Order: sequence, then structure tokens, then C-alpha cells
Amino acid sequence: MNGIDEIPASWFLILSAILFSIGVIGVLTRKNGITIFMSIEIMINAVNLTFITYAREWASTHGLIFVFFIMAIAAAEAAIGLAIFIALFRHRETIDVDEANLMHW
Amino acid sequence: MFELVIFFFFAAVAVIGALTVVLHPNQVVGAISLVLSFFALAVMYVLLGAPFMAALQVIIYAGAIMVLFLFVIMLLNVERDEIVVSRPVQRFLGYTAGSAFGLTVSYYLLKAAVIEAPEGSIFLSDARSVGMRLFEAYIFPFEMVSILLLAAIVGALLLTQRDVRRDATGGGETV
Amino acid sequence: MAFDTTDIVLTVVKIAFVLAITLSITPVMVWVERRGSALIQDRPGPNRVGPFGLLQSLADALKFILKEDVLPAQAHRWLYTLAPVFGLIPAVVTISVVPFARSFVIPEMNVFGRTWFEGGRIFEPIIADVNIGILLIFALASLGVYGMALAGWSSNNKYSLFGGIRASAQMISYELALTLAAIGALMGAGSLRLTEVVYRQTGYFVLFGIDWLRIPAWNIFPMFLGFIVFYVATFAETNRLPFDFAEAEAELVAGYHTEYSSMKFAMFFMAEYMAMGTISALTATLFLGGWDIPWYDEPATFVGFLLSGLAFLIKVSFLLFVFVWVRWTLPRLKYDYLMKIGWKVFLPMAILNILIVAILIAFRWI
Repeated sequence: MNGIDEIPASWFLILSAILFSIGVIGVLTRKNGITIFMSIEIMINAVNLTFITYAREWASTHGLIFVFFIMAIAAAEAAIGLAIFIALFRHRETIDVDEANLMHW
Repeated sequence: MFELVIFFFFAAVAVIGALTVVLHPNQVVGAISLVLSFFALAVMYVLLGAPFMAALQVIIYAGAIMVLFLFVIMLLNVERDEIVVSRPVQRFLGYTAGSAFGLTVSYYLLKAAVIEAPEGSIFLSDARSVGMRLFEAYIFPFEMVSILLLAAIVGALLLTQRDVRRDATGGGETV
Repeated sequence: MAFDTTDIVLTVVKIAFVLAITLSITPVMVWVERRGSALIQDRPGPNRVGPFGLLQSLADALKFILKEDVLPAQAHRWLYTLAPVFGLIPAVVTISVVPFARSFVIPEMNVFGRTWFEGGRIFEPIIADVNIGILLIFALASLGVYGMALAGWSSNNKYSLFGGIRASAQMISYELALTLAAIGALMGAGSLRLTEVVYRQTGYFVLFGIDWLRIPAWNIFPMFLGFIVFYVATFAETNRLPFDFAEAEAELVAGYHTEYSSMKFAMFFMAEYMAMGTISALTATLFLGGWDIPWYDEPATFVGFLLSGLAFLIKVSFLLFVFVWVRWTLPRLKYDYLMKIGWKVFLPMAILNILIVAILIAFRWI
């Protein structure tokens, strides 16, 4: 398993950049709340990949700890976010984010 | 050579999975392709020499968070295919801005990302060293995250509960 | 880690062997289930095909193949077809990190005019001895829920959907208790590697300082609470009675696989029994000493390998029989009761078990 040095670290970083921009596109173009939420998860995972790539390159455990915390916080965020969507659906019968405009000026 | 094949295959799976989430009108298909994408990312972590993080990735993201997503999608059971789409100008701006951002970052990563590993250090990524680090240097953030998770549990319960009706025995019953 | 030809051949042999055993769990268990239920309900059961009805499973398999494969008109075609595969793959793959016998030294031998195993070679009876062993099992087992959830959703049938929703809620809830209960066994071994978990259990506990009063150092004795939680959670994880709310034929017709027929249904069937086999193997490994034979020191030879493999097989078979026994003895619970005991009883019990194990380790009692 020592062949991992064959793959340059920048390739992982570019993969991460591609995934992150896909997530950005999803957030900007979709109206469905849960799809937007899933796009945010894509971006979070792209960041995780970057952290682990740099952790390997710098031979440091700190990057892994950051990923660990990001995962924990993503779990909390998913629980709260989905609860918000369930509450929204109860009141509005939709999870279209344009319909949730009570606070809109 | 073998690693290269694995890298490109799973990189393609990750990107296609993510694209399906963004482009496919059906949310359940999106959720499943997102699971595949996360699984491919876990393979990336193994390639990077961090199998412990790969296992965590699959357990937490694919095994817990995405099941929750699927559960909510199935529970709400909104229309199978989303008909309402965003305005053309919004879509155009979104695609252009997103692609431009991705291209720029990739360009500068290729050009400017200089990584110099410190000499003679070994990348420790097993459960023991991650755990040691977590409970020595990061014990305070760790406790903070546990409080955050507790707050999230209470918040989620509060947001989703319906009227609480007291029955004759005096016990609270969510209806 | 360098691979030579012998390594590859040995690995292929191991994979073929384990796969054969895993695949044959389903027909054997179908027979045990049907005859066992007949025994418990005091009736003969299937006894026409072959001696004692042993070939009944083959007849069933043939019937499955010959049945028409129905695709419901409003079903989501792709996901409907993929769902059984999603259910089957995790059930098959997870067995690969479970050690199934004692390792032994293959002596040097001369076969076909060539020297094999030069200078002897240690044979590890495990397909992949990875250092994240048990995490891999939990990671893959947590993917098993997608088969049921997707089947329920893609059938476009309200009973299927209910089954799928129940399956996902139930499996998330009980996975937590399952994982926390397993942590006790891992703390005892100080490793995530299942081979080390087993080696840790091969010794003895000497009770009250009396030398002849000793019991095997199996995890079930210091971690009885954890064993109870783990074992009950396995019933919920494999959707077996008294926790089979995903199918619940009295309430939901047949739950998530109501619309499935022919080989697709057979795949769900196989996935259920294979998941039972895997999780029984895991229970035996974590709590019942794996391949350890009590009060006997297995030699590191081929005989020791065979005896320990047999011991492991007996333990797993017993656990599998308990699955059948419980199914035909206990009634189905209420769904809200399932969630209630999952979160309010088993989760605290699992955490209490971790505390007890931590105290035992701190005082060096285990």
C-alpha cells in the first residue's frame, strides 16, 4: 500500500474543488429545500477531502481531528435542518424555499 | 498503476453522484447517488492512507445522515418529480458562477499549491493516534461538540413535536 | 505488503470457502425455520422432498426461478430493480473481517514436484484482517437499510412505503445500541481488530483466587449487560420477530417487499438470512469467544484449526437457532413500544455497560 505516492496531492484537491463547485451550483439553482441541503452536504464533504489530503501531505493528525469535528457538526446540522423542513412542511405543505417567505421584505 | 485506476474510477463516481444530486428532479434518486458519492469519497480517504476516517465517513454520512434524509423525503412524500424550476436567469447565473469558481480554484491549485512535507514525519491515521490527539489537545472542543449535539437533539425534538395532550393518567403523550 | 502467488491462491481459497458457507446459510436456515416452526407448533412441517424434507429449500429455489417477475406499473423502474442488490451486498461483504478459526502453520510440503509453503507459512483464517475491522462491519451493515427503504419507496405502494419508513427508523435507532454495546468488547481487547478481540478471550478468569475454579475469559461474563443489548439489537437489525415491523404481515401485507416477486423477492430472502448469519458470527466473535474452545488449548496445527472452526460453527449455529426459536415463540411488539425500549432502555443499558467495563479495566479485573 505504499503506492499512494503515485497520485499527486493536487489531484485530490482538484476533485475537492470540482465537488465544491457542484455543491455551489446546486445551492444556487435548486428550489427544493432538501436538495439544497444535500448540496450543502456535498460542499462539506469536499472540504473534508481537502483536510485529509493536507493532513497526509503534512503528516499531521490535526487535519483528521478537524474532519472528525466537521462530521459531528454535520450530523447536528442535518438533524436540525431536517426538523426545520418537517416543521415547514406541516405549515406550508411544501418544502420549496421560495414559499417560506414570511420574513421576506 | 492500480491506485490510479481506482482513483479515476471513484473520482468519476463521486463527481457523477454529486452532479446527479444537483441535476436530477427526483429527490430519492438524488439521495441515493449522494450515498454513492460519499462512498467514493471514503475510498479516496483509504487511498490517502486514512482508513479510519473512511470508516467514519461511511458510518456517519452514508449510514446515519443520508438515512435521515431518505427518511424525511419518504415521510414528507412530496411529488415524485419536482416540477417547479428556478428562473432561467437564475439558473444561468448559478451554472456560470459555480463553474467559474471551480475552474479558478482548480487552476490555482495546479499552479500554486506547493506542499512541502516536514522531513521524517510519519502520517499516523489509526484510531489510537486520532483518539490520543482528540483527548489530549482537543478535549475542550470535544466536550463542546457533545453539548452542541445535545442541543441539536433537543432542538430537533422541539421543532418537530406536535400538540402535547395530557391524558387522564397525567402522562404527556405526543399526538 | 508484498503479495506472492501463494498468498493470492490462499486468499482466493478463503474467499471461495467463506462465500460457499455464507450462500448455503439461506437454504439450510429455510429448512431449519420451517421444520423448527413445525416442531414448536406440534405439526410435521415439510417432509415430502428428500429425507426429512431436506431438499425442500431446493424446490423452493426452483419455484422462485420459475415464477413471473412482476414490475408494478407505477414503480420507479431503476430503484425497484436495484433495491434487492443494495440489500444483498452488505450482507455478503461483512463476513470478510470475521476470523472463523485458529490460525495455524502450514508445513512445507512437496506436491506436483514443486515445493509449496517454503519454510512453513502462517495461515490466518480471515479474509481481510484490516485494522479497522469492526468499524468496517458497522459501516457496511449500516448500508443494509437502503435496500429496505428503497424497496419500500420505489414500489409505489402505501404498505411498502410504511414498511420502508419503519425499517429506516428502526435500524437507525438500534444501530446506536448495537454499536455502543460492542464498544465494551473492543475496550477489553484494546483494538478494533477482530482477531485480537478473539485472542483476548482465549484465556481464563480464575474466580475468587481458587485455581481450579476458572471460566473461559469470554466477554459475555464481564459484559453480560452489553451482550443482552447487543443480542436484542441484532433482532431489530435483521428485522426478525419480535421486531419485524418492516414486514409485519398482519399490518402491512408484507411490508417493504409486498410488490416483489420471483428472484427479486428471493434476493431479499437471502439477504435476511445472510445478515442473520453475519450478525450471529459477530455476536459469537465479540461475546462468546469466537473460535475458542472452553477449557482446551488448541494447538497451532491443522487439527487445532479444524476443531476451533467447528467450535465457531457450533456457536453460530446455536445463535441462528435461537433466532428461529424466538420467532416462533414471541408475538410482535407494538411499533411505538419498539422505539421506546430502544431509546429509553437499551441505549442507557449500553452506556452503563461501557461504564462497568471501564471500571473493570481500571481495577485490572479483566
